[in-house]
Amino acid sequence: MSRLTSIARSLAFLLAASIVAAACAPAATGPVASAAPVLADAQEIIVAAEADGYRNDGKRNLLGMFPLNTNVYETLVTLSPTYQVEPGLATKWEFKAPNTYRFTLRSGVKFHDGSALTSKDVKAVVDRIVTAGGGTVGVDEKSAVIVDDLTIDITPKRTNLRALQQLVHPSWGIHKAGADVNTKPVGTGPFKFVSYTKADRIVVEANPDYWGTKPILKKITWRFIPDPNTRVLALQASEVQAVTALPRESAKTVATGDIRVATSKVGAYEAIYVNIHGKQPYDLGQDKAVREAIAYAIDKQSVVQNVWQGNAEVSQTMIPADILGASKSGVKGTNRDVAKAKKILDDAGWKAGADGIREKGGRKLQLTMVVGYPSPEIHRPMPEFAQAQLKEIGIDMKIVTTPDTAAYEKRLASGAEGDLWVEAGSQNDGNPCFLPDLLFASPVPGGDEESNMYGNAFAPGAKFDAAIKQCRESTTVEDVQKAAAGAMKLLIDDEFVVIPLAGTFRLFGLSNKVLDFVAHPAGVHQRWDSVRLAK
Amino acid sequence: MTRYILRRILYLVPVWLGISILAFSLALLAPGDPVRSTLQAQGIDAPSVEQVQALRNELGLNDPGPVRYAKWLANAVRGDLGESVRTGEPVLRSLTDRFPRTAQLALIAIILGLVIALPLGVLAAIFRDRPLDHLSRFGALVGASIPSFWLAYLLIMLFAVQLRMLPVAGSNTPQHVILPALTLAIGAAASLTRLTRSAMLEELNQEYVRTARSKGLREVVVLVRHALRNALVAIVTVTGIRLAALLGGAVIVETIFAWPGIGKYVVDSISGRDYPTIQGFVLFAGTLVLLINLVVDLAYVWLDPRVRLGGTAGGH
Repeated sequence: MSRLTSIARSLAFLLAASIVAAACAPAATGPVASAAPVLADAQEIIVAAEADGYRNDGKRNLLGMFPLNTNVYETLVTLSPTYQVEPGLATKWEFKAPNTYRFTLRSGVKFHDGSALTSKDVKAVVDRIVTAGGGTVGVDEKSAVIVDDLTIDITPKRTNLRALQQLVHPSWGIHKAGADVNTKPVGTGPFKFVSYTKADRIVVEANPDYWGTKPILKKITWRFIPDPNTRVLALQASEVQAVTALPRESAKTVATGDIRVATSKVGAYEAIYVNIHGKQPYDLGQDKAVREAIAYAIDKQSVVQNVWQGNAEVSQTMIPADILGASKSGVKGTNRDVAKAKKILDDAGWKAGADGIREKGGRKLQLTMVVGYPSPEIHRPMPEFAQAQLKEIGIDMKIVTTPDTAAYEKRLASGAEGDLWVEAGSQNDGNPCFLPDLLFASPVPGGDEESNMYGNAFAPGAKFDAAIKQCRESTTVEDVQKAAAGAMKLLIDDEFVVIPLAGTFRLFGLSNKVLDFVAHPAGVHQRWDSVRLAK
Repeated sequence: MTRYILRRILYLVPVWLGISILAFSLALLAPGDPVRSTLQAQGIDAPSVEQVQALRNELGLNDPGPVRYAKWLANAVRGDLGESVRTGEPVLRSLTDRFPRTAQLALIAIILGLVIALPLGVLAAIFRDRPLDHLSRFGALVGASIPSFWLAYLLIMLFAVQLRMLPVAGSNTPQHVILPALTLAIGAAASLTRLTRSAMLEELNQEYVRTARSKGLREVVVLVRHALRNALVAIVTVTGIRLAALLGGAVIVETIFAWPGIGKYVVDSISGRDYPTIQGFVLFAGTLVLLINLVVDLAYVWLDPRVRLGGTAGGH
């Protein structure tokens, strides 16, 4: 869909909403449910979800797991809302050098068909993932070794000490060995699979034999409604009681009457990456003073308030700071300081020309910002904000938008034609090294194409690579966090290759009848078992 | 007449082959990597080089372009359009699963559009420059100008949110089709009303109409059996074009109303660089357009005696 169409649709929706709401809607001021609510007899909820993204092809099947987690499956380890790895179907784990994790399974856990969870089931899952290419962890047919009924060793094909943090991802959900995952998912989660209609809905019901706290909702139906505005309208029409991925433009207007907005902690981010290896005319990012000045010129608070409309907070890290644990204070970041930004440029010899744009050696300080990951819409109007703020310190910035991720990556891969690259990303597992490693490690000949593509533009070099190596090789959580924070400090505080802008929240629209919903910052880990429905 | 029909059918073959070459090549020209899309759809954001290579081999992406085209075409002729790299499902099955939904919506919308447009256009022509004509022209102008997404939201807000008469979105009950069909029908009706009016005005000024009237035929016979029938040639042509466009998927309307048709599926496939689906869709939609054109051409045989007698049709 074109950019103009998208803008026009949003405007049209807001205008249409205003007209019809003003004409027809009563001014409702319903209270949020009280502390001791009367629960509805039918504990059934309908959730409007994004477009159906399930694969349903056997070996790569993710029905009920990912991207929409229906809580039918559970993983060996889980990701807490603060991005820490916690016990799931495994109650404990032990790292066995050089490359193995031994998991002890929770006893007494039953699958939805009544059979007991054993290590054979875990091995079956690993073996299935092997046939699909080995997953993020990188497993092969030798990776899963059963020790006993409730103990299993998992050894990635290659050294991968971050396997534990990667295993929290819902695509590693444990299903019954031999179960038909295509049509009848059998897991251990708080909800049991009922039915799935492609592109329309998926339905689950409460698992009365759940090993943990029993879910209160008896039935959840997720309806796939791709258009965010329609999801909001479905909530307003009481067709659904909850909406995922509420558009930030609607957050303020929708929260009236019987509807409220639930926000998660920071789970995603928006940041600018500076091209430090570009060829002329995209080589100005090689000047550290330019990068540092940009970092001090941009008003992050303004981005949070005006672009993200308050549904974010100022971020000094590119991934959610919580994932760094106690080491998060090691990354300081920058705040707007126009005088300092100007002084940095002055000291570096960039002098203001007659038109206010700085020059050095006859070359104007003109930069190009590339916007398009994962879509240009999500960033709008941040680029224009940045453009105005950079102009204040004498930097002329041109904005180039690419229609989608593929076009953005093509531009990045073909010579990185741009100085500033804007991206929004999220963190779905517990590995704090993942994004810094993927995007900023030095390119390796014959290595991963995507990683090399980013490395060719943004890799700061040997010092950062050493920090990432340490991050990959650390065995304790604290050491990993410390190493990741060190790598991030280098990117953000020392080299100014990354300029974090905002840590963004995940937004849900909820009927006030929906109680005890806790929004998880990583959407794929969202739990529904604590939710209740008031009368 | 038989020769005319055979000639029309034979034309389809080279055009279809041309479509197949375009379908195959266009997808390859788009930026992006289907391997990466496939892996990301499985939650693998940082695949190993081996994983990428293995999948590339599995998808046959290492073969030269002409070899891939030949294999793809040979499979396509047998009804195998490959597997979606995004969903893993056979492309043909995905398209044929969704197509009935799109066809249902398109047919209802086009029928509704005709039900509105034909009487309104005819009446507007009969009562030219009178209030009814002005009203129908104004209505057609508004209907043609209003973007479908705006109209869709307005209809939802009115009929679903405020009046609670119809569902917001989905496809489970017959009521679900009303709002999306109405949204599409209003646009179709607007252009068809204007076309019917102008075609009727043209026919009403023809000699044969004057002759028919002077023969003392009843006005309704003159209008329906003579003028409207001749005007239908243009109307059928445009209706065919509109129907073909709708059958290719009314992307925005299907998205807004969560209608599980072909349009939204294909747009998602384009975003996800799902080459087999994009290629399969272009071939599928191209074939569909060819068939609709054939039906329209055959309709001329019925509508225009000159075609039956071996002359030239109005054509499009």
